[in-house]
Amino acid sequence: MKLDPTQIAEINSEHQISAARFSSDGSVLVTSGYEPLVRCWLFDGKTLTPLPSLEGFHGYSTAIAFHPKLPHLFCADSWGQLRCSEGEKTLWQHEAAHDGWLRQIAVSPDGRCIATCGKDQFVRVWDAATGQKLSEHAAGEDVYAVTFSPEGQQLVFGDMLGRLVVMDRDLKKAQRTLDAAVLYKLDRIQDLCGLRMLLFIEGGKTLLAAGTTPQNGATPQSIPTILHFDFASGRLTQTFTHGASKEGFIHDLVQHPQGFLMAVTSGTPGSGMLLLTNPADKEPFHVNTKMANCHALALHPDGAHFVVTSTNRDSNGNGRSLGKNGEYKTNRSPLHLFEV
Amino acid sequence: MNPLCTPGDHHLSRRAFLGGGLSLLASPVLAEAMRQKDKQVLFVWLDGGLSQLESWDPKPNTEFGGPFRSIKTSVPGVQFCELMPKLAKQMHKLCVVRSMCTKDNAHSSGVDRIQRGDPKNRGVPYPHFGAGVAKLLGPGASGLPPYVWIKPGSGGFRAEDAGFLGPKYGSLAFGDGKPPENLLRHPDISAEQDAARNELRQMLDQRFAAKREKRVVEANASVFDMAEKLMARADIFDTSRLPERDRDRYGRHDLGLHMLVARQMLEAGVRFVKVTSYGWDTHGDNFNAHATMVPKFDQAFSAMLEDLEASGLLKTTLVICLSEFGRTPRINGHVGRDHWPEAWSIAMAGHGVRHGTLVGETNDKGTAVKSQPYDIGSMFHTWYRALGIDPLKTEFDNAGQPLPIAHDEMIPIKEALA
Repeated sequence: MKLDPTQIAEINSEHQISAARFSSDGSVLVTSGYEPLVRCWLFDGKTLTPLPSLEGFHGYSTAIAFHPKLPHLFCADSWGQLRCSEGEKTLWQHEAAHDGWLRQIAVSPDGRCIATCGKDQFVRVWDAATGQKLSEHAAGEDVYAVTFSPEGQQLVFGDMLGRLVVMDRDLKKAQRTLDAAVLYKLDRIQDLCGLRMLLFIEGGKTLLAAGTTPQNGATPQSIPTILHFDFASGRLTQTFTHGASKEGFIHDLVQHPQGFLMAVTSGTPGSGMLLLTNPADKEPFHVNTKMANCHALALHPDGAHFVVTSTNRDSNGNGRSLGKNGEYKTNRSPLHLFEV
Repeated sequence: MNPLCTPGDHHLSRRAFLGGGLSLLASPVLAEAMRQKDKQVLFVWLDGGLSQLESWDPKPNTEFGGPFRSIKTSVPGVQFCELMPKLAKQMHKLCVVRSMCTKDNAHSSGVDRIQRGDPKNRGVPYPHFGAGVAKLLGPGASGLPPYVWIKPGSGGFRAEDAGFLGPKYGSLAFGDGKPPENLLRHPDISAEQDAARNELRQMLDQRFAAKREKRVVEANASVFDMAEKLMARADIFDTSRLPERDRDRYGRHDLGLHMLVARQMLEAGVRFVKVTSYGWDTHGDNFNAHATMVPKFDQAFSAMLEDLEASGLLKTTLVICLSEFGRTPRINGHVGRDHWPEAWSIAMAGHGVRHGTLVGETNDKGTAVKSQPYDIGSMFHTWYRALGIDPLKTEFDNAGQPLPIAHDEMIPIKEALA
């Protein structure tokens, strides 16, 4: 594969972004991040223009996902709120869908239900149309990631210890567990969870678990990692790593319609990569290190555009860092619009 | 009228001291009175920096507040981060200072400055607080080593902690809470043989002492004294006797176990027990790190407070919990918080401090102290006062040179004192 994406625009954002997704029709990009807002951006093929934000969240807006067919957006926050919106209109909302930090939302391929997971150690399935809770499962550990299988009948979640649990969609029975414990480490009294994303590829034949292989706590030094599991057997078939230990986590991972994987990384402040790699390859065919600390990647439905959110340079520093006017400096996430 | 002491007051006391010619500590009556009360100290050191925003001083739903919620505590109007539910129920036992503003944002120099009270440069290294207490209050009725340190990793004697006080007052570290190797007398050596060997050693010590500094000789002899006392109380290291329930209450992790060993040390009468937990330097993945670490601290520290209260020891034990600094409000690209001495928090409990008290405040975003800021020197004044030692009337003796026990331009936090 030879492919060299070109950045066509950089859009300023005064806030830090942790997740980004395009709507199913590609007209709107939404971002969540270190603020109690979900920001919306109009995409015209050349740039992003801010739209009114969705307000009424608390802490951080943590998770966003679009319905595969309808213009419905599901979003959540770190205080446990789960909401379904259409434009600025709220269709349904649970203020305490989880007790605290709701980490991820997955939408079933048929769009009939959504799954959520959180720090409260629960996985829950909801009716996407009404918001009614359909089922729940007490996982026993902080749950970092959740996804549906491509045919939609199974659900996989990954917990802090690197256990990938396969359940039926109704969460009635844990069918089996895949071992991704390499993504977990106990360092002193810190439990380090390296898992950030779960993604099915090859029509569900392969399950990817992406994040990092933790080496130490406090200031993590670790290498971006993708584990490939043969989903039928649960066997680990391949481990993809790239970069030095300063590169840290794969924070976001998507598959392009042409089959290659797109990932963004963030580690020690200043580090950061956009990686494009074929699933079977050991080395990426494209690496972009011009953006620091990338946290989100949104692929446009046309497959011809995508957005990477990064972090401004010099985002770290001990003590009081002041801006030109003596104000306490904050960080921000530029949005980089690429054309494939 | 300013209720606080001023530096001028202290200068008077120094003159009085010099005029008197002797440190009040030289007064056997006062020293003995202090020792009889057997006040103790538990000093919990979270190495690195606990984020004040994810612990004692949450700013939920603000620009730098992070993802977590705040929860009510047992004191109306005071809230902690949701990661500390057990300590929230014990706020009525605590005194939390939210207006710490210290000088150093680097580990290399900051640790020393905080643990030595950041005194003015006197050309000699100042003692850690534990060494100062060991010097001023002595070993207490138990006779056990007055300054012990329970820490992960290796143990050993750290003479440098004593600064100019001399190596005798250094810390005796028990790595992983375990006793020193070969603590007990070898079974092949009888008590009589042991006594004979000690007699020979003491005789040789006298010859050794004739040609050396007194404090070096004292340190040498004190090591044998410490060993003797510890041999008699080896049971204080024995965690096998601990009820399973206590292991569960304190947590089955390093900090829980070390805090339990510390409890045994305090119950045995050790004057100053320091417990260290490493890894509190979350420049990356700060929120997930605090989400797993703070609840373990919450569990172990709150269990300790419960037990000290139940046994009555909280009445005579000053409890202190602090880090090198706090953590920056702004969040870096690694989802971390960096070093932040500008506006952070310290918690205290027990003897001499005012319970259920919140001292000072930071601004709405946590980017600055809004009230009177306090440097670490003020905390040393406060802690010595809490132990019944007046820092304005008590001085260290550095080989004939009187030196203040705490920064002589700082003052205690009166609202933190009982």
